[in-house]
Amino acid sequence: MGAPLNDVHIKTDAPSTLFLDKHADYIASYSAKKDDYEYCMTEYLRMSGVYWGITAMDLTGSLTRMDRESILEFMRHCQHDCGGIGASQGHDPHLLYTLSAVQILTLFDNLNTIDLEKVVEYIRSLQQKDGSFAGDKWGEVDTRFSFCAVATLALLGRLDAIRMEEAVTFVLSCMNFDGGFGCRPGSESHAGQVYCCVGFLTIVGRLHLVNADLLGWWLCERQLPSGGLNGRPEKLPDVCYSWWVLASLRMLGRLCWIDSKRLRTFILACQDEETGGFADRPGDVVGAVDCIRSKTTIQYKNCFPYLYIYSYLSKPCLQVDLFHTLFGLAGLSLLGETQLKPVNPVLCLPEETIQRLGLHLQLLN
Amino acid sequence: MHGRVKVKTSAEQAETKRKEREKKLKLYQVASAAAASKRANGEFDKEALEITQNILEQNPDIASLWNFRREILLFWEKDRQEEVQEVLSLELPFLESCLRVNPKSYGAWHHRAWVLVHAKHTDWAKELRLCGAFLQKDERNFHCWDHRRFVVQHAGIPDTDELEYTSQLISTNFSNYSAWHYRSCLLPRIYPDPEQKGRVAEDQLLKEYELAQNAFFTDPSDQSAWFYHRWLLGRAEIEDAITCVYVSKPLQTVLVSFSKPVNLRNEEDEAVLFVDSRPFPSKWQVPDKRSTFSHVWVCKLPPGLLEGETLQHCLHVSWKDGRLKKECLLYPGSKESWCQDSATDQKLFSLELSIEKSSVLRAEMDSCRQLLDLEPENKWCLLTCILLSRVLDPLGHASKTLTWFKKLLAVDPLRTGYYKDLRSKYQVEDGLLCMEYAETRVLHLARKELTSLFHLDLMVLVTHLDVSGNCLHVLPLAMSCLQCLQVLHADDNEIEDIEGVRNLPVLQDVCLKNNRLAHLSQLQPLTSCCRLVSVELGGNLVENLPDFYTHLHELLTHTRPV
Repeated sequence: MGAPLNDVHIKTDAPSTLFLDKHADYIASYSAKKDDYEYCMTEYLRMSGVYWGITAMDLTGSLTRMDRESILEFMRHCQHDCGGIGASQGHDPHLLYTLSAVQILTLFDNLNTIDLEKVVEYIRSLQQKDGSFAGDKWGEVDTRFSFCAVATLALLGRLDAIRMEEAVTFVLSCMNFDGGFGCRPGSESHAGQVYCCVGFLTIVGRLHLVNADLLGWWLCERQLPSGGLNGRPEKLPDVCYSWWVLASLRMLGRLCWIDSKRLRTFILACQDEETGGFADRPGDVVGAVDCIRSKTTIQYKNCFPYLYIYSYLSKPCLQVDLFHTLFGLAGLSLLGETQLKPVNPVLCLPEETIQRLGLHLQLLN
Repeated sequence: MHGRVKVKTSAEQAETKRKEREKKLKLYQVASAAAASKRANGEFDKEALEITQNILEQNPDIASLWNFRREILLFWEKDRQEEVQEVLSLELPFLESCLRVNPKSYGAWHHRAWVLVHAKHTDWAKELRLCGAFLQKDERNFHCWDHRRFVVQHAGIPDTDELEYTSQLISTNFSNYSAWHYRSCLLPRIYPDPEQKGRVAEDQLLKEYELAQNAFFTDPSDQSAWFYHRWLLGRAEIEDAITCVYVSKPLQTVLVSFSKPVNLRNEEDEAVLFVDSRPFPSKWQVPDKRSTFSHVWVCKLPPGLLEGETLQHCLHVSWKDGRLKKECLLYPGSKESWCQDSATDQKLFSLELSIEKSSVLRAEMDSCRQLLDLEPENKWCLLTCILLSRVLDPLGHASKTLTWFKKLLAVDPLRTGYYKDLRSKYQVEDGLLCMEYAETRVLHLARKELTSLFHLDLMVLVTHLDVSGNCLHVLPLAMSCLQCLQVLHADDNEIEDIEGVRNLPVLQDVCLKNNRLAHLSQLQPLTSCCRLVSVELGGNLVENLPDFYTHLHELLTHTRPV
């Protein structure tokens, strides 16, 4: 009767302690293998990759292991005349990578590496009549980009640069029957978009416009018996939702609505004991599976807000990546893991960095 | 990797794979370089389209390559119109094959929408069929759902057709959350409630109740229909209103509270205070001295303004250009006065559930209890019974509700935190109702297993609050709404943060025995309560600090802690 429960089974021998040093090793080695197939094939999102890597590294307390100078040098080549920043040299500017770049430079305390006035101008130029933001000049509108715009401006202290009331009105027009948010007006709620919209409203000081009890209920219902969180009803759990869901609940002052102990168990089980790093979920999938494509030689992985491409694996272990490594670690940090630096739930940077900037983000309590 | 099958492969296989990948990478790099050089040299030709197509077939999310293709097409538009239309028509099958390999590629869906808008003779009906085909393969693909809504808009397809489409999908699979979601968007457009914006007219609402009931009777563990049902029961939007005006002569203060958080510093939301019919240049402040938006605002009056023991004063607040107003009279000889909307059941619960005809709700309750007899451990059904009982008769169902909560906590331990907070919220509501019936300003909330405090903005007139013997960890910042609070009993909790007592101007007695206060710094908020007479801190770790009472006296020089 009904749909089978989509969840995973955590084996008794799954990792249950945090391999702190291993994760730092994994991140350090990732950026060293520049000829690697996966490294090359993900060039189109490099800027975000660098942000995931250095933020994860900083949370583990090992930022000095990253080659700061070469990263800054790389970044000098990614800003375009319009002010926007591309994922890598030769890639077009986009709000996604503009935010990643500003996050990186904030973390390195080196914002002047790029022309900030032009960044502000770029963001301003992408605001549409209805208050929404296009991701780039080609006009794709999404609440993800509303978040990118205000998060970047908040880090630059320039929230005054856009038409705020219209921006708020647009985000609110994406609120749904379940209290959640989607990409555009009428789009279904999705935990990643919820994070973006709740984050947006936090940054602009309008969190009271969310129905926190209703949305909080929908968010805590994302937790499955394995302890992991999914992004929408009936979907499989994924480590990155430990971030999107948990950070949203934290902003809404309702972190205690999920079972922290069980979630922690799930996140830790996603670690690769051998290589370090986190995968999207622990090995064994039970119930229905959303996309088995084991015969193709290339596999796609959809993780909000990006799509990845991976080669088919030959290694019989978890497939770890930087994205899940950051959000696994950040989730653990929100759950109070003392071996990690506290993370800011709105901007996903170390709390100490946000304090250094003197940014005050009012969460619900 | 989603649903990846784990297979151990031999070293030999691994080597073959490595070589394959190396070859692929080479091809990719050569193609990428070729595309980049064409773009840099302005070679906007057919070959460029071919190269980018080859790469995008492999990886449809390299946004810059879609951008390049669009640049080529726009470039040709000037003098090669026919060719452009031809390429645009070929673009559709190419995109379809990309999407078949990866149905969730943001870049490919966006490019498809762009092509459809730029092509001269777009066959929207065909495009709608394509959406249907993709949704048949994955009924939850939100990219495709969004594309469908885009197509529907351009093709001018009526909402009623789309509603029918969701009915079909739901009848084949009740747990299609995406389809329920879409209904929630369509219904208020097709059958708008004439009185409540964003809600559904009653006739249709009754049919929807039936649909949701069919679904959860068929599969009581399927969450989609339950989420939808909660929305049907749902809340009407709270209307703007001034809910209370209070004036205190000794404090020389006027307090105003609103139905939702407002920012009076915002010019459009300006509130004007009239004292004896004369506008008073008021400087509104929030009680917590931090928030930008607040339910409650206070304004200091200059000394002497309310003088004269024999005179009556009229305090009048006008908001939204005079459309909303409230006044309160301060009679000769009185120290304080107020005018407050009554917190009747209905008003309180309109925050959670709107007022449908009670017969409909009673019928709902009957069927849910029937279901609960069959499925006594169904958490969705338990929660729905609680929600319904709150609308119908909260105090009458109080003990039954607590039994259901107990059961909920037992059957769904993952959401313990949520259920306990929800129960706390209802306990606070019941306490407020009892206080109103008793016509007092004393709020009894002791020993109710409270984990959080709710509705603090409805407590602005409360003088005595008893929350002893609960499970509170925090006296939250929002407690600063309680501007009339004189006595606070909060013994026997797990409180470690008393930020909420900050800036309570008339607070005299505070009992915080047996809590988790361990450091002097945690007591700092008490220093802002300038009328404090006694503080009780027995049974807290902080008491064991060396010279604790000396330090406490230093901290609270104007108080006499017992």
